[in-house]
Amino acid sequence: MKNIILSAIAMSFVLISCNQKNKQEETVTSAPNETEAKATAVKVNPNSFSIKEIVTDYLSLKNALTKDDSNATADAGKEMVATLGKIDMKKLSSEQMKTYMDIADDLKEHAEHIGDNAGNIAHQREHFVLMSKDINDLITTFGTEQKLYQDFCPMADEGKGAIWISELKDIKNPYYGSEMLTCGSVRKEF
Amino acid sequence: MVQKCLLVVPLEKNSRMRRIFKKIFFIGLIIFLLMQFYQPARNIGFEQDVTANFTKVYNVPKSVETILRTSCYDCHSNKTDYPWYSNIQPVRFFMDSHINEGKEELNFNEFGNYSKRKQNSKLKAMSKQIKLNEMPLASYTLIHKNAILSVSQKQELMNWINTLKNN
Repeated sequence: MKNIILSAIAMSFVLISCNQKNKQEETVTSAPNETEAKATAVKVNPNSFSIKEIVTDYLSLKNALTKDDSNATADAGKEMVATLGKIDMKKLSSEQMKTYMDIADDLKEHAEHIGDNAGNIAHQREHFVLMSKDINDLITTFGTEQKLYQDFCPMADEGKGAIWISELKDIKNPYYGSEMLTCGSVRKEF
Repeated sequence: MVQKCLLVVPLEKNSRMRRIFKKIFFIGLIIFLLMQFYQPARNIGFEQDVTANFTKVYNVPKSVETILRTSCYDCHSNKTDYPWYSNIQPVRFFMDSHINEGKEELNFNEFGNYSKRKQNSKLKAMSKQIKLNEMPLASYTLIHKNAILSVSQKQELMNWINTLKNN
């Protein structure tokens, strides 16, 4: 019995010391790498930077919402988080970078929440209100090759009204899905 | 667990059974004691980058700040007021995972590091959470009675957030 106790205590010490080592490493790696970002933001070539992939993810998320499919919506949200992580900002001017970062930081937040809330479509739709605004502003800033429409639903967001972006001319409402699929109107064409 | 053993063991005639119970109880006790060695770093970081503080980003009235500090800061800032039982494992373990999750969502000490848009989204989310009574969490206010928001406190917070949004 004594042996068991002794060996258990010894093991616990090993575990604790391992843990502390990990913590020290963490604090070291958290140093900012701002210098890297500054060095790369010199050249301006807006044509080679594209938000196409982000928009594609957004559209598949939107289409999942029109079908009231919460799980598919969550998957698309996770997809967007991954896409946002891969976006190459080297081609942006510092001015564009500022705009992009401002939007992307917020967009990522909404994409994460939508991704984490499979089964809670009401909450996903809440985040979709602000996500749509972000996407709208991304498109206004960086343009689109694809034909896109800005649609409006007057009832969404607790009656305050909200926009969404669609690749279809016909209305398919992501805020209400099958409940009121054709409710809403086209406001603008990109 | 202790009571159960004391009750069951004397009734048990079989001495072999008795020994097994004793062993299980003893091992359980050792595991519990060993767990106490695991005391990870506490969430009591000093406010290093003061400029990122929520109170530096906005002009926060004293009364609003007080509400936020009593009802939100334990999980949404870099400084937690730990209760005595936080020294006991596995209580601490659950507490830490809660705090980490809370800080990930919203950290008042790092609010200034969010992009302007994200700050606005956070404000909206805060207002909504307060309105729907989702925050502070019921499991938290169960013990921290002073963290419960009264109707007037809720109104004060929401009104203040609204004035920010309109600016």
